Amino acid sequence: MSRMATRQWMTTHEWMVKPMHQREWIERRGIMIWIAETFTSLGAGLYLVSLFINSWWGLLVGWLIIMFLKLPLHIAYFGKPWRFYRTLPPFSNAWKTSWFARGILFSVFFGTFGFVQLVFGQPDLANLIGTSIANPIYYTFGVLAGINAVGTGIYGGFIMNYVKGIPFWNQGLLPVVFILAGVADGFGLTMGIGLGGGDASVSWAETGSSYLLIINILLIIVYLISARYTSEVAKISVQELLTGPSAFMFWGGLVTLGMVIPAAVSLVSLFGEASTVLLIIAIVAHTLGAFALKYCLLKVGIYRPLLPKVAAY
Amino acid sequence: MRWGMVVNLIKCTRCHACIAACRIEHFLPMGMNWPRLIAWETDVPGEELTTIPVRCNQCKDAPCVEVCPAEATKKREDGIVYVDNDICVGCRYCIIACPYQNRTFLSRDKDPGYFPGYERTRFEKAGRKIYPHTVGTTEKCDFCMERIDAGLAKGLVPGKDREATPACVNTCQARALTFGDLDDPESEVSKLIKEKNAFQLHPEYGTDPSVYYIDGKIGNAPSNIAPREEQTASHMQHLSTMEERAKQIFGKK
Repeated sequence: MSRMATRQWMTTHEWMVKPMHQREWIERRGIMIWIAETFTSLGAGLYLVSLFINSWWGLLVGWLIIMFLKLPLHIAYFGKPWRFYRTLPPFSNAWKTSWFARGILFSVFFGTFGFVQLVFGQPDLANLIGTSIANPIYYTFGVLAGINAVGTGIYGGFIMNYVKGIPFWNQGLLPVVFILAGVADGFGLTMGIGLGGGDASVSWAETGSSYLLIINILLIIVYLISARYTSEVAKISVQELLTGPSAFMFWGGLVTLGMVIPAAVSLVSLFGEASTVLLIIAIVAHTLGAFALKYCLLKVGIYRPLLPKVAAY
Repeated sequence: MRWGMVVNLIKCTRCHACIAACRIEHFLPMGMNWPRLIAWETDVPGEELTTIPVRCNQCKDAPCVEVCPAEATKKREDGIVYVDNDICVGCRYCIIACPYQNRTFLSRDKDPGYFPGYERTRFEKAGRKIYPHTVGTTEKCDFCMERIDAGLAKGLVPGKDREATPACVNTCQARALTFGDLDDPESEVSKLIKEKNAFQLHPEYGTDPSVYYIDGKIGNAPSNIAPREEQTASHMQHLSTMEERAKQIFGKK
């Protein structure tokens, strides 16, 4: 009885003794980080794909997602949002060491260069000032915005990959997962731009989406296998994804919505033309899959315990 | 100079006094813990819980310093890592990046006052003038750097003179905590680390913590450290001494 009483009393202090989930970036206000990270992926991916196919509407939507959905959510998550400027030079030189600071810089540069590109790429304005003036500016700022879109899309992977205490995140492949998943999301949204009457080819976007889908499926399988053998704690993370509390989001959200449904639609389009309804279902499923991927990654971030006795974790 | 601490788990009686002392010293809000006492249950049936006091490790290569986007987490020349709450933006990346999880974000619900729903006490109000505890920022142990600085200014030696020594070290009734300069081979901490083969938590992270532990059960467990039975005996002896003292004091009433 006394032992039981002692144990009850001690329960509140059983902290970092067993593998412990990170909660700051997924629970309560942390949900904002999850959603912002997904918008990062969608926005940067769409911008990059649109750059490749020269779709002004795609560029615009990608830019709007980053500037009006991703950035405000990230800043709103801060405990002191009005101090946001303190993360930027000249107030801080943290970009030399911090991927978080670099990410903010990438986003700000992306916003600025992207805006100039969009202005000079706007057909009416380009015709007004002359394409000989507008085009060089458009392409120059396109390159600059593209580089920063890559940075914006990938920095979240480096942020998480840096965390040594969470072995599931501490994998070299994570930034690659981030950027490739972003580009795949971009292809999905590009289909939507095409369907909505924008200047993007739906069939081209669908082909690109299919290739990226195959690459991403392989990448995620490789990631899970490599994480599985990294450490005991990473193994727990993988188990939570496959059979544990996050299994619903993994199998239902990431696999079914993010992979199976888009793959099935791609398969249908191989043997004939997929209907608009099917394509819309694929786009929506793909986008929901993007949310599921970020949720899964953030949710199964588990710390190794503090004590050397259990360092085998 | 690099300030460091040695925690002797053999001597620690798990009294929580270090945690209380820190709370009093820094007027910590209700939901805030700088040092903690974590409980560890072994797989051996019937064996008592092991508790270990933990606090910010003041790492030499601190991940929190590297990741802070606002440079609000800083490292002093003497190795103390601290948070400038006037700069912190509250992004919580430092909390995520700390492999020891020794940082806490002060949210509004963690600062309800000592008597939630009532006005702050005079004690709390006075404390807030000294330690503002800004809601929306991150906090952690800073080895009582104000005490160290004030003590050094008076020519005192941290770790030897109480006025210049962290509050938790001063209050430890079992003398389980030792504070001093890790760079000085003649300091008590350096000698303890060498003689008792003290260990750091997760040295494989490459963070080089400034807090070391001595124990016969966990960690390196060298043969010259007391085994578990002796530790328990040491605890029991200390507790009986305390009991005797209590009888002497209260028995007179």
